[in-house]
Amino acid sequence: MFALQAEGLTKRYAHGKSPALDGLTLNVSGGQIFTLLGRNGAGKTTFLRIASTQLMPTSGSVFVLGLDCVKEPRRVRERIAVTPQDAETIYPLTARDHIMLSLRMRGMEKGEAMRRTRAAIEALELNDVADINAEWLSGGMKQRVIVAMSIATQAEVVFLDEPSIGLDPVNRRRVWDQLALMRKEGRTVVLTTHYMDEAEILSDTLAVVDKGRLVVQGTPQSVKGSSGGSSMRVEVGGGFSADELKSYGKVVAVAGKNRVLTDTEGARNLSDAALARGTGVSIGPVTLDDVFVDILGGAAEGEADA
Amino acid sequence: MALQKVRLMPNRIRSLWAIMYYLGFIPVLRNPLFIPFVFSSPFTLLFILFVATGGTALPFGIAGALTMVTTELGLFVGTDLASYKIQNKFQDIVVASPVSPLTYMFGVALSELLFGAPPLIVLFALMAGRGASVVTILAALGVVGLLWVTTTSIGFFFSAYSPSTQNAFIINGFIATLLSVLPPVYYSVSLLPAVAVPFAEVLPTTAAASLFQGALGLGYSIPPLFSFAVLLMAAALLLALVSFRMKWREP
Repeated sequence: MFALQAEGLTKRYAHGKSPALDGLTLNVSGGQIFTLLGRNGAGKTTFLRIASTQLMPTSGSVFVLGLDCVKEPRRVRERIAVTPQDAETIYPLTARDHIMLSLRMRGMEKGEAMRRTRAAIEALELNDVADINAEWLSGGMKQRVIVAMSIATQAEVVFLDEPSIGLDPVNRRRVWDQLALMRKEGRTVVLTTHYMDEAEILSDTLAVVDKGRLVVQGTPQSVKGSSGGSSMRVEVGGGFSADELKSYGKVVAVAGKNRVLTDTEGARNLSDAALARGTGVSIGPVTLDDVFVDILGGAAEGEADA
Repeated sequence: MALQKVRLMPNRIRSLWAIMYYLGFIPVLRNPLFIPFVFSSPFTLLFILFVATGGTALPFGIAGALTMVTTELGLFVGTDLASYKIQNKFQDIVVASPVSPLTYMFGVALSELLFGAPPLIVLFALMAGRGASVVTILAALGVVGLLWVTTTSIGFFFSAYSPSTQNAFIINGFIATLLSVLPPVYYSVSLLPAVAVPFAEVLPTTAAASLFQGALGLGYSIPPLFSFAVLLMAAALLLALVSFRMKWREP
């Protein structure tokens, strides 16, 4: 059984000219980390809000753990938790209070809630600040508190909308560790992110959406392979025309520079040519970031790196 | 550790208590300065009435302050809810959880009531000091309860449609003035022009104030049964409106 199934999901907002979701269809197996990628406004948050029963779709269906999100929201809600985007801490609660509130309001016994709160505080390295007003914490610490509120629950499917935004690299990895632990426990994690490295490292499967439609879905490896079979990326400093570069592979314009996605042979030939002309060259394996830019166009670069 | 396959059935009382404890009890303890905020307007009007009339209008002041404190407590719920929804996104977390909308609403409303407990205790003490019997005070508590349900429902309803927390604050402040300052809350309905009386009589705040005035020995300017009926109907209608029309899951 899929943990999450969407079929022809469409959402039109009253104020929007084009649909936020336009017939989106995708499936997510249980016990895995699934990442939704896309530019700003691609429909990621709308999808998460519909699947987590916060928003009604205009048409189409979504099932979470086999339960219809439209017709059985109460049953769905017993088994999910969510970390919204841009959530803020509540004055004057502490980090511990926030996590306890999240667990206790879900009906968890006090002893179990305290145990899970301690574990979350420890896992996200909030020990030193657990009992001070969360309003006084740094942005990254506040974000960890918000994330802890959902991951400390026993929910079988956890939706996280950009959970690592504002976190430094060390704390991002702490959150990743927790998401990986949830997967180990058999829980399903559905997240959105703009960090391509995060999606590549964490995800069992991912999907790229654009203008509310599914562009590609698969494992990070298979999605990377969807870029015309290119395995290498080559960036040259200059001295090559676009037409010339096209003879080596697929050319993607990135921040005024031309990036060539090609195979090993093409990379070798292009780097030789660049070195012969005394032009700087950098070579590396194709990343998810390259594929994202390739699929969605150079304009997405800034957002992909955001 | 294997995932514990426990489907958490929400214990409504536990959920209600948790929301009330963390959003009401803890903030009151950590920042008791919130309490004078609830005191300020109703007690200022009470004080002015007391001074201006040499103490003779004190019962009207008590009745008015009881009505105004209760009204503001209910409407402040709307401001709190708007803040939890728009600013903190806490309501998103609650919606995607087993907590029901009514549990959430009453949890937040009860948390707000904690801020109002001290002024209400003072006002009931003043009522007792003026010779009100235990039965009368219990009946007045019932009136406070009905008015609180009514105004909480109004606050919740408007918070659901507020585009910003500032908007919610302004709207709820305006409604508080419309309901508890302009109508005959701090004065007798008999002082109004005859043409305005029928409109005033059907307001829940006028009904509550009239019942408080009666309990304080000022006589009932509106038949008490009529006032009770107005309060009951307002509470039931607005609660039903909130239950059926509120935007828990956004359309």
